Amino acid sequence: MALATVLVDGNNFYASCEAVVDPALVGRPLVVLSNNDGCIVSRSAEARALGIAMGMPYFKVRQQLERHGVVVRSSNYALYADMSQRLMATLECWVEELEIYSIDEAFGVLHRPAGGDLTAWGRALRRQVQCHLGLPVAVGIAGSKVLAKIANKAAKADPSRAGVLDLAVEPDLNGLLASIAVEDVWGIGRRLARWCRLRGVADARALRDMPSGELQRKCGVVGLRLQQELRGQPCLPLVTIAPAKQETCVSRSFSQPVESLEALREALATYLVRAAEKLRQQRQRAGAITVFVRSSPFNGTSLYSRSATVQLPLASNDTGVLLAAALPLAEQLFRPRKPLQKAGVLMQQLQSEDLLQHHLLLPLTLEQQQRRERLMAVIDGLNRRYGRGAVQWAACGLRPAWAMRRSRLSRAATTCLAQIPIVHAR
Amino acid sequence: MQGAGIDHGDLLLVDCGLEPRPGQVVVARLGDGFTVKRLVHWRGGLGLEAAHPAYPLLPLDPCADHQLLGVVRHVIRRC
Repeated sequence: MALATVLVDGNNFYASCEAVVDPALVGRPLVVLSNNDGCIVSRSAEARALGIAMGMPYFKVRQQLERHGVVVRSSNYALYADMSQRLMATLECWVEELEIYSIDEAFGVLHRPAGGDLTAWGRALRRQVQCHLGLPVAVGIAGSKVLAKIANKAAKADPSRAGVLDLAVEPDLNGLLASIAVEDVWGIGRRLARWCRLRGVADARALRDMPSGELQRKCGVVGLRLQQELRGQPCLPLVTIAPAKQETCVSRSFSQPVESLEALREALATYLVRAAEKLRQQRQRAGAITVFVRSSPFNGTSLYSRSATVQLPLASNDTGVLLAAALPLAEQLFRPRKPLQKAGVLMQQLQSEDLLQHHLLLPLTLEQQQRRERLMAVIDGLNRRYGRGAVQWAACGLRPAWAMRRSRLSRAATTCLAQIPIVHAR
Repeated sequence: MQGAGIDHGDLLLVDCGLEPRPGQVVVARLGDGFTVKRLVHWRGGLGLEAAHPAYPLLPLDPCADHQLLGVVRHVIRRC
């Protein structure tokens, strides 16, 4: 039996998630903004139909959005991450192996029954995701990852396919491949696309059929693999086990410039608290911390950009330890009259929590150490249950002015008990 | 929804993976919000019936199949 590769992804994932928890948004034009309410990063089908472009800065299209009555939301990452986990959990049950490729996209591998058509399977999968999550997805099925990407794209583009396309039973495969621009083939970058165009290779079909030697001379085995994939011979295996993280970064741009040391310390403390939480989730400890700051590249003055690193005597994921080690760096990095636009913390030299640490002069006894770990677990548990910030570190400040602008944030409807949707009996 | 044992302020556990069947208490999308009602047979189709007689029965549009979101499995009451 041959193997089939499937690519499932969410349609307008962020906008769709928002509509799942707020029925008032169903059927209405809706856009979701990036961090600090910057640019449009997701649009509902209705917003697309109005001609609202992806990636547009919010301030530029604000009037257009208001004129059309478009609903605007800030990015609610807690909601999207939770919906993503639920989506992946459902997909796990439908394939033999799953590679989570991004927040709203996963590749899967399954056996294709001899001469089998997987269209009905794809429809059933789509129905179940709709039923479990209320999210519309597109399902592309083919013999390789690159073709599954193309199938997925075509399934979305043509409404008559109802979100599912199995390329193995597509009667006009050549025609379909010819309709995919070479730039839109997965793995083809801008430069390679230009090189193809110069050779008259403008679409996926032409790329599949061009002489292999020519492609190999240009980009080696990578190009050959891509062509094999286009011919339906899988060369890119699924990446099912995420490699352990080497670094973890938390950085944000400020809603307004930070011009005092106090504000910078609060911002860095907030990022360190988040980073420590991430480390504990990943069951890792950091051996070193780098803190970086920079001014706005757009305000006309010269760019101010600095970083500083502190080596921890003992790797840790204890928020208190990380704050004590890294917050003093703020003084090194801060300059009066250099307004900062962005700052971040980078956790480095990550190692597994399971690794035993030996140190001649342990700062804490084993019992003290275990008590600290329990404290962190309790804080994480409370923040998970009652929403982030339920238990806060004083170093982060109260109601900071620099905090990320998320003026149109929806509720944490799937992750916080106090914010779950309300149903009415009427 | 007192007739179905659901009180104001109760926490509902809803299973979205179940196909709602007539007789069950379901959560559905209604206008700009969510509603909890009993799914009933009605004139050859299906309808949503409130436990309170003051609210009229709502016929279900057979085309809008995503109106029904799930089946209420448990009711949790604050004491």
